[in-house]
Amino acid sequence: MVKAFGGLVVAWIIGMAIAEGLTAYGVDHWPLLGSVQAHITADATIYLIWQAVAIYVLVGGTIVYCAIRFRARPGDSGPPAYQRRYFGPFVIFWLIMSIAINLANTIYPGMVGLEQLWGIQLKAKHPLVVDVTAQQWKWTFSYPKQGITDVSKLVVPVGQTIDFVLRTKDVMHDFWVPAWGVKKDVIPNEIRHLYVTPTVLGSTKTNPMIRVQCSLICGNGHPMMRAPVEVLTKAAFKTWVSNNSF
Amino acid sequence: MATTDVQGRTVGGAGGGEQPFVWSMVLPMVRAGLFGFIGYFAAAWITAMVTHSVIVNPLPATLGYVFGLLGWIAGSGIWDGWIRRAFGGEEAPSLTGVERYFRFSSDPKATAVRYVIFNVLAFFFAGLAAMMIRIQLLTPDSTSWWLSEVHYNMTFGIHGLMMLLAVAASVIVGGMGYYLLPIMLGARTVIYPRLLGLSWWLLPPAAVAVFLSPLIGGFQTGWWGYPPLAQNSGSGIVFYALGAATLLTSSLLGALNIMGTIIYMRAKGMSLGRVPMFVWGLFAASTILIVEAPATFTGTLMDLSDMILGSHFYTGPTGIPLAYDDQFWWLFHPEVYVFALPAFALWLEILPAAAQRPLFARNWAVAGLLGVSMVGVMLGVHHYFTAVSAVRMPIFMTITETVSIPTGFVFLAALGTLWGGRLKLSSPVLLCLMAMMNFLIGGLTGIFNADVPADFQLHNTYWVIAHFHYTILGAVIFSWLAGLYWWFPKVTGRMVNEFWAKFHAWWFFIFFNMTFFPMFILGIEGMNRRIAVYLPYLHPLNEFVSISAFFLGAGFLIPAANLYISWRSGKKAPQNPWGSKSLEWHSPSPTPYIVFPEGSEVTVVGPNDNYADGAPEPFVWAPTAAGK
Repeated sequence: MVKAFGGLVVAWIIGMAIAEGLTAYGVDHWPLLGSVQAHITADATIYLIWQAVAIYVLVGGTIVYCAIRFRARPGDSGPPAYQRRYFGPFVIFWLIMSIAINLANTIYPGMVGLEQLWGIQLKAKHPLVVDVTAQQWKWTFSYPKQGITDVSKLVVPVGQTIDFVLRTKDVMHDFWVPAWGVKKDVIPNEIRHLYVTPTVLGSTKTNPMIRVQCSLICGNGHPMMRAPVEVLTKAAFKTWVSNNSF
Repeated sequence: MATTDVQGRTVGGAGGGEQPFVWSMVLPMVRAGLFGFIGYFAAAWITAMVTHSVIVNPLPATLGYVFGLLGWIAGSGIWDGWIRRAFGGEEAPSLTGVERYFRFSSDPKATAVRYVIFNVLAFFFAGLAAMMIRIQLLTPDSTSWWLSEVHYNMTFGIHGLMMLLAVAASVIVGGMGYYLLPIMLGARTVIYPRLLGLSWWLLPPAAVAVFLSPLIGGFQTGWWGYPPLAQNSGSGIVFYALGAATLLTSSLLGALNIMGTIIYMRAKGMSLGRVPMFVWGLFAASTILIVEAPATFTGTLMDLSDMILGSHFYTGPTGIPLAYDDQFWWLFHPEVYVFALPAFALWLEILPAAAQRPLFARNWAVAGLLGVSMVGVMLGVHHYFTAVSAVRMPIFMTITETVSIPTGFVFLAALGTLWGGRLKLSSPVLLCLMAMMNFLIGGLTGIFNADVPADFQLHNTYWVIAHFHYTILGAVIFSWLAGLYWWFPKVTGRMVNEFWAKFHAWWFFIFFNMTFFPMFILGIEGMNRRIAVYLPYLHPLNEFVSISAFFLGAGFLIPAANLYISWRSGKKAPQNPWGSKSLEWHSPSPTPYIVFPEGSEVTVVGPNDNYADGAPEPFVWAPTAAGK
């Protein structure tokens, strides 16, 4: 059995090299991260991918290894010599590892990520307030402090935290800009807030990830419930405001 | 051995199935259909007349469904099989032959066989819906030549609800569980055989209602049925709510039977330490259903009440829509463990026999199954992290991640069993190993949805679709097929064609992964779920997924043909083809109508997984007083 374990370790090393290599390639081709929040949520996702791939190679690799190494050859009958029902060190190691990984994951990326997201929200002294109204099947945006009401295109400045105030006129919707990495459900009879700090200039035309998209089923027009987004420099945003306010 | 007076007595022609099949045996099913049809239309038309509306409106449809269901059940033979006796009348004689498959019957084996047939049919039709979805997504906007957005929404709603409640919820519990539960425990029947008989007869009307919901307007909500969208997107939601409630009621009746049978009907010497793993899996799944199913089907009925009675639980100015989410996910996240726990248990049942080794760390495996069912109760909120208040996030993140610890015990036991064994890689074993590989991906990607920051981006994208298809299709349906192949000789007396079974397993494994793995990437790239129309930049991957899905879908015809042909003309099976030490292999194949005839009684004297050379037999047969 000890000899078999040596083979398993070799299988693990080869599997790990291939799998984590592919992961590195995938992470290099990660889609656009257009906000501070997107970096936090993507960091969490990428960290968990590295970890999941490692666990998959260790556990899945063992299943495949056992299926090959311990299979019965044709014409091979009778029970195996090895009949152990329990092996303490393995069980204890497994138990400690699974508890440790869970605790660690809850702290990072779970709680740390949440703390960072909440921190941005608390530190935002004068966020740009944007009222978002969802209804079947369109989005309308108002900028109460700027005196802009009911525009169908979301225009925001780069580098400033925005407080999206989310309301719905009918059913549940979900406000999501894929490039910004966070989403929030819009619930009837309730008002929700979503804080986003865009960091990348661009528009829906330049990158389809920068778009408002409803991501909670809301009826027939759900797939078309999108709105164009434009992330401008602060100066350009000021110009846009003066051109559009009353 | 526990027994009841009815099942204990000797019945003439105890083998069952010896009389040739004649078409008149199908009459109770035809009668049930006719009564159901009459009940539906009579009630719907009368209600429509009284309320001056039309029969496709919510209220007439609801009453129509209720009376249709009653008519169907009355026609099935429940009147002479159960009710007449309850009022002091004479009960119809127990039917032991082929006819018991076509009418209400208290034989768990007949009920289980009907479950398998029903599951296969439901899987076929819900699978066709999946193919329609994938045709839609072949191009970014197919609404001009294929389904409109409205029909697309109905299609995936029906696909989701049917696959979850009419297939996944009962494939292993209903099809295999009800068949094997009494036999594995050494009991002559389950504790409430008539209730078990009833549980199957609730399924077809519910399935028919959901599949035909487009006729009365369909529903746009997907399988969630969320208010307030539910109330203003087609009266088919009535059939959704009633169908879901009926299917859950049926699961609940089965769960009561499983619990009661395990607690009260074990054979002498069958201590909890010797209960087979598969039965433990059924037990863990049943605890979930008993605790949680009532809250959820009450929720769907309250939703219905908002619609037809004018109440405002979830809708209107005073309604709280999130309360529905709470009730809905209270069961429906744990419901996936109702599918998965019997599948886990099935691996642990099959692997020791295949490796000819005792199950490794058995106590930990049992603790794992029960642990999942207990922790699983408390984590539904991770399905709507994007909607709840911040204070609930850390709590439910922690609990959701914790569920991976007991799940890990199942893998611990499986790996320990494989290690140093002498594994016979027959087709069921191959499918089990593939199911483990798939579930590993499904489980590991679940951590992303449990982790709040990652979930904020991945929630409601194709990442989630990929994740749960890996757990349900990849693990539960693979395990279902493994179980079908493993116990096929016991039920039909014939072997499955091994070449085609293995061929299909590989076909299925390859195209399954080609279909669902790219969906993780689609999710990361911003494809949200439940959309008929998507942006062109997602087209190449979607095309790849769709083409793989067609191969995957076509592959299901292989086991369908294999099972049918093997049943008709397969190789005759020996009594114990796999060399398993479990009790169900102690009776001849196919299982006779009376598995444990009057006159002898089984006593369990040892663990049933001791495969060492010269190990003592775990079961001893002793003559009973009545047999002397």
